[in-house]
Amino acid sequence: MPAPSGIVAVTLDQLIIVAHFDVSGVFIKLAGIDIGSRSIEFVLLDSEGYEVVERFQTETSIDLSSQLSLIKERYSWDHLISTGYGRQLSQKVLGGEVITEIKAYATSAHHFHPEIETVIDLGGQDTKALLINQKNGQLLKFEMNDKCSAGTGKFFEMMAGSLGLSLNELVAAALQGNNSIEINSTCTVFAESEVISLLTAGISLEDIARAIHEALLKKLVALLSKVTRPDATAILFVGGGAKNNALVQFLSAAISKQVLVPEYPDFYGAYGAALTANILHQENL
Amino acid sequence: MNPLSTLFNDEYQDAPLKRALAQVIKMRDTGAKVVGAYCSYAPVEVIWAMGGVPAILCAFSNTPIAKAEETLPTNLCPLIKSSFGFIELKTCPFFELTDAVVGETTCDGKKKMFELIEKHRPLYVMDLPQCPANEGAGAYWTQSVHGFKKFLEEKFATTISDAALEESIRDCNRKNRLVEEIYAFGACSPSVITWQEMYDVSTFAMVSNGEETIAKLQEIVAMLAERKAKGVYSSKENAKRVLITGCPIGGDVLKVLKLVDEEGAVIVGMDSCTGLKPYAGEIEEGSGDPVKAIATRYLQIPCACMTPNTGRYEVLKKQVESLKPDLVIDLVLQACHTYNVEAVKVESYVRDELATNYLKVVTDFSQQDLGQLKTRIAAALEMC
Repeated sequence: MPAPSGIVAVTLDQLIIVAHFDVSGVFIKLAGIDIGSRSIEFVLLDSEGYEVVERFQTETSIDLSSQLSLIKERYSWDHLISTGYGRQLSQKVLGGEVITEIKAYATSAHHFHPEIETVIDLGGQDTKALLINQKNGQLLKFEMNDKCSAGTGKFFEMMAGSLGLSLNELVAAALQGNNSIEINSTCTVFAESEVISLLTAGISLEDIARAIHEALLKKLVALLSKVTRPDATAILFVGGGAKNNALVQFLSAAISKQVLVPEYPDFYGAYGAALTANILHQENL
Repeated sequence: MNPLSTLFNDEYQDAPLKRALAQVIKMRDTGAKVVGAYCSYAPVEVIWAMGGVPAILCAFSNTPIAKAEETLPTNLCPLIKSSFGFIELKTCPFFELTDAVVGETTCDGKKKMFELIEKHRPLYVMDLPQCPANEGAGAYWTQSVHGFKKFLEEKFATTISDAALEESIRDCNRKNRLVEEIYAFGACSPSVITWQEMYDVSTFAMVSNGEETIAKLQEIVAMLAERKAKGVYSSKENAKRVLITGCPIGGDVLKVLKLVDEEGAVIVGMDSCTGLKPYAGEIEEGSGDPVKAIATRYLQIPCACMTPNTGRYEVLKKQVESLKPDLVIDLVLQACHTYNVEAVKVESYVRDELATNYLKVVTDFSQQDLGQLKTRIAAALEMC
């Protein structure tokens, strides 16, 4: 089955139903919610064809409990699974079960791309590389970044901030830049001082933006190398970081493999949770 | 699950180190010299033979680390920093009780840290050959044990006779066999012993010896046998089983073990120097050369400081076969290069040869990585 498409993500402020499918008879609604450090993704699937009934994304706020309560008021589901770093709190508010985002990503990756065995997820505070058994979808191995935010989406945000750019501007600049200089650190604190030194040395914004991408790229490549089999020809790139088209392009060149980015890469955690909810549903039948 | 009977019916519930401290104080009050030790290579039989008592100085608390970092580098093993910080702050009750200290050259950080603390206590550093299978390694280590014995004799104006050493070997062998017997209950499924109880036993046995100790350990064996017979379990049926291997653990790094508990899994064994490792294996009795017999057994300890460390794989194979874990967690303390690098081989051995899931965790004594550890441990258990 292809990844669900044709639906626009909305913010929590616009809690509207973005898509309904004409479904005859009763269908079971499977909910998946991924509470990440930067954003929350929520999906409702129907259990028959795994069609997306609803989907939205919003920023994770300080008052996560209230955000979750609002979701509880507005939506209903038959089975829900929470994932992501806020999964425990989500379970308290919304009920249901929890799975780790690692299992969630493995589940959705295998469901939508059964031919893929290597997955990389670049999130707000975590980066994960997964190796999946193509035959049965079983997760064989995973690796994560170190405990700090070096090598994660947060790094890009901080670096864009240091350059006075938005995230989109940073990405656009990187595509224009040459791979001529090196930023040695992915520690946001150290990298920031490197960036400032480069700026004062008269290096162009574009080249610095490129170097920022290359620094993070090294981390991704190292993480991937721990799980990728030599004969893999393609990898799946998910998480919010996969929306960075400069990074996708550079990654593909660096590993000499095809990098697949699904239409809603940041929803793969929520999809995986909802898909796993179906197992609960089947068990309860 | 039925409520578990308490293995140690005393005032030190959930405080194994306080129980150990009380034990050391009790011995000291009867005139025993307290000899602080930093690792499982310290041949405690020699200390017991002198009529002394060993005190474990390895610390696992995050509290004194800030103090230690005034002197030591930040990117050093937290165990070394914690132990040193306590000494600087004069708040390590064990160190404060010691009359002498023995160190071993297991790692570079510890080795150089000993130089910084030798001003505080009479110190003997045993040089550990790290290629144990090389020719002459056994003889060299035997010399180190002789050197330690001589140090104690001179420092405390006493003589440690071969007869006393033989008696100490017999006592420790008896004790160690009982500790092994207790850990073997980890094989029960569902479990009849918790990791907290295993840790209690290891900590108690480290500073205890003699008839009273034997009786206590026998009582524990009987209690566990009763749990097993009556079906009193400490874990749920079908709980996923975890074997912990790697660096010594205690105090604040028990966070990893607690996270395993939180996920509803059960720890069935602890293959480390604060677990079964110091008690596994026996010293030859009646050999006629007790110092050599002691040295021989100690050089067989499968620490990652050894190369090649073949014993580690033998132990892992034995433990995986008997305890049947679903997951092996290799716990590496930050900057412990030997365990960290050895993990590469351990991972392939556990995955490929033992067909068991494996997770390496590198951590320190702080709480900063709790969220990430929880995800990683939960994900590894989901895979089982």
